[in-house]
Amino acid sequence: MKTDGCRHWKEELGAYALGHLSNEERASLEAHLEGCPACRAEANSLLAVSRLLPHADPERFGPAPQPPAELGKRIAATIGGERRAKRRRRRLHFGLGFGGAAAATAMAVLAIFVLSSGSEGGPERHVAFRSLPSGVKIAATLEPQAYGTEIHMYVKGISSGTLCRVYMRGPAGDAVSAGSFRYRWGADDSAVLSAALDLSRAKALVVHAGNRTFVAPLGNAEAALRKQSQQEEST
Amino acid sequence: MPPGALTDERDIREAYAAHASELYGFAVRSLGDSGLAEEAVQETFLRAWRAGERFDPQIGSLRTWLFAILRNVVIDLGRARAARPTVSDEGIEASVEPFDEALLSWQIEEAMRRIGDQHRRVLVETYYRGRPYAEVAEELGVPEGTVKSRVYYGLRALRVVLEEMGYED
Repeated sequence: MKTDGCRHWKEELGAYALGHLSNEERASLEAHLEGCPACRAEANSLLAVSRLLPHADPERFGPAPQPPAELGKRIAATIGGERRAKRRRRRLHFGLGFGGAAAATAMAVLAIFVLSSGSEGGPERHVAFRSLPSGVKIAATLEPQAYGTEIHMYVKGISSGTLCRVYMRGPAGDAVSAGSFRYRWGADDSAVLSAALDLSRAKALVVHAGNRTFVAPLGNAEAALRKQSQQEEST
Repeated sequence: MPPGALTDERDIREAYAAHASELYGFAVRSLGDSGLAEEAVQETFLRAWRAGERFDPQIGSLRTWLFAILRNVVIDLGRARAARPTVSDEGIEASVEPFDEALLSWQIEEAMRRIGDQHRRVLVETYYRGRPYAEVAEELGVPEGTVKSRVYYGLRALRVVLEEMGYED
């Protein structure tokens, strides 16, 4: 079948797809389709389009309503405000990822440095996690607040992506969630979380990152610390 | 974070410039209220901003992603509305049109807006109004064969536009 011989048939295909051909016209077109794969493929494709038409309402083919000009500005302002508030609260999202290699379920527990703080904000405590994978640094500053404890997490040298959950251990070993964060390269490297547990009652600060758990005991003896780590391991 | 993720305000501004009009047009159609539609579009971009680092252009287009967010927003707004005790004389307020059906309708209507006037005109007259080709031809002052070929090229144009819009059947 010559292609230009199909031109006439092709132009019938629209009316055919819409069911607008007379019986005779349809019969002769279908006879052609029998022997012409190209026209048959075109017919099927237009039939698929024609089946969509009943879903549309022709009363709605006029110009679509446009969003008011100030909507874009309002959204930009809201996003800008949200970003600034985030920065102010230093509530950036972090995450720890340790790459597949380093990753056996391991437990790193460690010592803690309780440094006296010179700031007048009260007895802040600086906590450093040790026994971390090389190149990785995790530290925290804890501040007592009326609602419990504010936790500033500092993270460095980790890959992004893994969700990191933080909680504090209460006097009975109970876990009080402080929320989670996700690390973003290039972003500010601290995150602020909070837990509804008095700092004076907290026994440990725990960070779950991927399949690793890091515990920094708070103000306890080494022994209590070991015990704590065993408990963590069994969870 | 996937390359192409939406990480700063400029990305969101660009996404807004490219897609806000479509999202809004659809939201108005779906929610039947321009105030609610504005709320829905605003919420959609805020959620896109908050979740921007999860957007991965390898998985789907930005447009598809934004519509997926809008879908959730519209459902939430519908729920919030349904939860309000707005009992009228007829009883309970009619629920919003199911989202997917509304989205399909809106996409075809949007595609119709994008094809040429001549093509749209013959499709409306012959298909939606069911008028004979001869009558339409006379009204337009063209041969009947021309009306037929415009119907053909009109359907083809519609197919192309739907493909460009990311329609998949």
